[in-house]
Amino acid sequence: MNKNIKYGIGLVLLLFLAYNSVYFTDLDKMKSEDADAIDFNARATQLYAGIIAENTATDLNTLKAALSTLPDSAFANYGNRLGIGESAYFMVNVAGKVQSINDGEILLQTEAGESITVQTKFIFGNAIRDASGLVALTDYKTNADFNKLSEALNTIIREEKLPTAVQKISVGEVIKVEGALKLTKGQPLNTQLEILPVLIEK
Amino acid sequence: MKIKTLLMALLCAMMLAACRGDKEAEKPKIAVVISTLNNPWFVVLAEAAAKNATDLGYEAKIFDSQNNPSTESDNFENLISSGFDAILFNPTDADGSIVNILKAKTAGIPVFCMDREVNSDDAATCQILSDNYSGCVDVGIEFVKALNEKGTYVEILGLVGDNNTWARSGGFHSVVDKFPGLKMVAQQTANFDRNKAMEVLETVMQANPDIDAVFCGNDAMALGAYQALLSAGKADKVKVFGFDGAGEVIEKIKEGKIVATGLQHPLVMAETAAKFADEFIKGRTVFPQRVPVEVNLINASNAAQF
Repeated sequence: MNKNIKYGIGLVLLLFLAYNSVYFTDLDKMKSEDADAIDFNARATQLYAGIIAENTATDLNTLKAALSTLPDSAFANYGNRLGIGESAYFMVNVAGKVQSINDGEILLQTEAGESITVQTKFIFGNAIRDASGLVALTDYKTNADFNKLSEALNTIIREEKLPTAVQKISVGEVIKVEGALKLTKGQPLNTQLEILPVLIEK
Repeated sequence: MKIKTLLMALLCAMMLAACRGDKEAEKPKIAVVISTLNNPWFVVLAEAAAKNATDLGYEAKIFDSQNNPSTESDNFENLISSGFDAILFNPTDADGSIVNILKAKTAGIPVFCMDREVNSDDAATCQILSDNYSGCVDVGIEFVKALNEKGTYVEILGLVGDNNTWARSGGFHSVVDKFPGLKMVAQQTANFDRNKAMEVLETVMQANPDIDAVFCGNDAMALGAYQALLSAGKADKVKVFGFDGAGEVIEKIKEGKIVATGLQHPLVMAETAAKFADEFIKGRTVFPQRVPVEVNLINASNAAQF
């Protein structure tokens, strides 16, 4: 056989093997590949309605009293921690006079004179989902899907519910807030607490 | 004749006693299969898992998969044929490692995943995983605040086939993408490797010399990125963020050279996996499929505590 034909066949074979040995995936495509076509927005809307309807929030003063006497029981009874960790999320109610509204933060002063931050800009992560206690990790096949539920829920609260509510309030008014509070075991309770609200009412 | 029978019976009794002695001396075995021992973080995870298994009375052996699914497959073949009783597993690939777990499952060996998730909720007995998403949400919020909501940045990803890579990136972007003043000019992988991250950032900076920040999917890459910035004389200008809670990075946070990281808890994951394996061997049958482990944000305000 002609030497050139031999080399040619060899080269084609080599290229064929090389082509079939590797594959390339676009990073954007990799990121956007969802396991299931779950309608997270619909599920988050349903969850938000559930949070408001169930009204499982604990009065902040009741929670603080429980934490100062029997902290472990308070974490077990009022808090929710998925998996292992020193912190837990609590759904709480608090009322107070608006001291300031500034760059996504509402500063409240309660009747007892405590200062509370109501965060309306950085509504991210799993705080509200977990504080609600209405969904379980086992409801979703992967952690990624479970996290997408939080993203959809946070978007509804941050972009739909809160802007309207915040527009209606002004400094000096007394407001009621329901929202998620993260606390770590052993954390001093006299520090500035921050609530991620699900509902702000006058 | 009587003496002969007596001697035979004595011999049998001695053989039985010897057999029982052998069995008592042979400890049950737990295998620790780790994606790579080329990264100090995984060395900590592997050694902690092996130590916990040893402390619980097992013989423990560490297998290094060298970030290679085929080496991982060989490791599984070896440990299945060697009669291991449980596997504490850190997978190389979220999809590719499932087949190995299933081989062990078929052989009746429970598999407890540590740190890295596989894309199946019925292969492993249990998966004990860092809450990478929530950890990177916290890093993302810190990132937005540190940059005053504006600037250009580079993201350096870990291994493309590892779910942790996307959980971290997803948590970070769930925050940062909501701030239109922050523009990502490049997103590239560096396989969780320090030197590779340094090379990647050096190349990216040739086309984008005026970046304001770098977010890295682990601390090894954050240290590589910091090294590249130092060589380019930009370490004071560009803010670096990592993930893991490596001692070297915590020191750099204290010195103001790196802004923040997410502290993972490999010791907790290793301890929980070994404890669950022990409970399985002793008869427990029901385990949660996924156990997230909390990640803590470390920044200048709390670095001194670590």
